[in-house]
Amino acid sequence: MRPARAIGFAAAAALTLAASCLLLAPGAGAHDARRPVSAHAASVLNVRDEGHLRFVHASGSAILDEGAVSGTVPGSVRVRFVYDGAPDVSAQFTITAHGGSISARGTGVLSSPTSASPSFRGRLSVTGGSGRYAHIHGGGELYGVYNRRSYGLTVQAIAKLSY
Amino acid sequence: MSRPANALAFVSTLCALALCALAPAAAGAAQIARISAAFTPERLGAATTVSFGFRIAAPGGTPAPLRGIELAYPPNLGFATSGLGVAACPLEVLEALGPAACPPDSRMGYGSAHVEIPISAHPVEESVTLALVAGPSTDGYLHLLVYASGSTPVIAEVVLSGVLLPGRIDIVVPPIPSLPEAPYVAVTQMRLTLGGDLTYYETVGGASVAYRPPGVGLPRGCPRRGFRFAATFAFIDGTRSKASTSVACPHRR
Repeated sequence: MRPARAIGFAAAAALTLAASCLLLAPGAGAHDARRPVSAHAASVLNVRDEGHLRFVHASGSAILDEGAVSGTVPGSVRVRFVYDGAPDVSAQFTITAHGGSISARGTGVLSSPTSASPSFRGRLSVTGGSGRYAHIHGGGELYGVYNRRSYGLTVQAIAKLSY
Repeated sequence: MSRPANALAFVSTLCALALCALAPAAAGAAQIARISAAFTPERLGAATTVSFGFRIAAPGGTPAPLRGIELAYPPNLGFATSGLGVAACPLEVLEALGPAACPPDSRMGYGSAHVEIPISAHPVEESVTLALVAGPSTDGYLHLLVYASGSTPVIAEVVLSGVLLPGRIDIVVPPIPSLPEAPYVAVTQMRLTLGGDLTYYETVGGASVAYRPPGVGLPRGCPRRGFRFAATFAFIDGTRSKASTSVACPHRR
């Protein structure tokens, strides 16, 4: 994690400098000046996670799957996958990892819809987090395979996240 | 009144009568459609079969031949996630050899229809069986093919093509020829069922294992006024008819 720490140190320095500039800026009002300033060192995660998820339940065109995820942020993941007939599929998921959770939303395009296991690929963006990932943000790519027989999902996320 | 005047009045009266007589016929050119829909079983949050039916009538005669159907269904019904049609049947195979030649995993449902051939004052009726299969997709959408076959009095096989869109199924009905010099066949009734008694096969440990695809998933919640279906029918004479229906909310179990 040395590169991540280095980036984190640079980001913290930049934040401190930015905060100082804001406080010293002539235009900064008294109200702004009285507001407590908080800063934290940003860390960067180059995430490469994969999960093999099993079907939990469905509600119409939405399928809920969950399972273990391995990779940069290991833990468990719960995915709500929506496929309504359009090639554009969407997924909302939460990875619960050690020390916190990461929630994200992904959209992708499904190919070969009449095959038993169509694949999809698209983008994901982080929508929130908790614990050590409370300030997480960023996005990346989402790949997956949807098993039309078992309703199971295999998903892979490759993302660059800051927290 | 002179004779020519009388004749003119007589002709005028005849014309007026003829116009009056034509008015209902003109109104009859517009088709009247009714639709029905059903879930079997009716259980929220569970997989089901979805049946859709329609009747088309034209007051005083045979309805115009059908050109297309747009069926709007509740968008949260799990048609796409039904697990139906996990293989595709090529159109050429279906047209040449019928649904028996299609992969078993491409079967999506079945149905029946009634058609009329307006060759005389008493149109000839024919019963038609329907088979639904998944068609190849080149655009990322799920495509349906409806194989219609009738044998008496006219032997005919026709393939209707459809596409599953979010909240809507579009079906194109080609002009269906009947007898030489006779008008196109008019569809007067149809009933299609998605799902049902289907057997698919999957490979488990190198062996082919049969299974039943689950069917269309119902959402866990029900809209306040039930599941609404609406259909627009387009006819070859350029007219359109609309109809709607609702499936009442099933009881929670």
